[in-house]
Amino acid sequence: MALNVLVVDDSAVMRAIVIKTLRLSGVALGQIYEAKDGEEALRVLDENWVDLALIDINMPVLDGMDLIDQVRGNPETADLSIIVVSTESSETRIENVQRKGVAFVHKPFTPETLRQAILRATGVIDERQDSKSSVPGGGFDF
Amino acid sequence: MNDKIAKALYRAAALTFEELGFMFPSADLDPLQKYATVDAVGSVDFEGPQKGRLVVKMCGGVLPVLAANMMGELEPPTDKLQADALKEIANIVCGNLLPTLAGAKQVFQLKTPRVLAMTDDFAPTPGQAPTAEAHVGLEEGRADLLLFLLES
Repeated sequence: MALNVLVVDDSAVMRAIVIKTLRLSGVALGQIYEAKDGEEALRVLDENWVDLALIDINMPVLDGMDLIDQVRGNPETADLSIIVVSTESSETRIENVQRKGVAFVHKPFTPETLRQAILRATGVIDERQDSKSSVPGGGFDF
Repeated sequence: MNDKIAKALYRAAALTFEELGFMFPSADLDPLQKYATVDAVGSVDFEGPQKGRLVVKMCGGVLPVLAANMMGELEPPTDKLQADALKEIANIVCGNLLPTLAGAKQVFQLKTPRVLAMTDDFAPTPGQAPTAEAHVGLEEGRADLLLFLLES
């Protein structure tokens, strides 16, 4: 199943990094949407079918935590798979994020780290593991 | 100078340059790296159990290559995107370093990263010496990382 993905980050460079890493991760991708803040993300979600959202926490206008609350509070998007991608290292804060029913990926991250988080968040079966083929992106641990 | 923090600073920076910039960091600088001049400076301030600033200096033409690698582009991006890349690097290194200062349970607030003018005083208080610093060799240049801690 190809996933339609929404990448939400106020940094254009970080959005590019996430998209590049998504492509290297070997996950089947459909449409990739971008948003630079929470409000723009809500508009994208209102107008498009999205399977997975990768969200930064610290953003202007509407930050990642408020965005997650609004997404979870809307019956149409309540079940959206969400991964928070952040520099946050505090276990306390990460636990608070995970209580909202979202996965967490810490920056910096490898394609394999992102792949595993996506597989956990979406419940998609990793066919590559079963076929014993090499995992794309797994060799980036320089 | 705090050696323990300096080692943690080097590790956080090396990991970031490896995984986001697809670069091979080196702790031992060759002469070209050692004497490379500063091209751009970024910083991020933080508050919490400890208050301070992390400064990242990019030297010897590394930033355009780093920014292109981060974005998966063959050519260097615009100056604006290079500045954005520098701010992200500062933010990520700082986020990875802070747990070593106060423990993984502690909560810090990182401010919005900035690009500093070369004429700015990089220290949060004039003349302050860094608490720890690390130098990372990257291609034909290097990154200097300076951590300033303020008295609580």
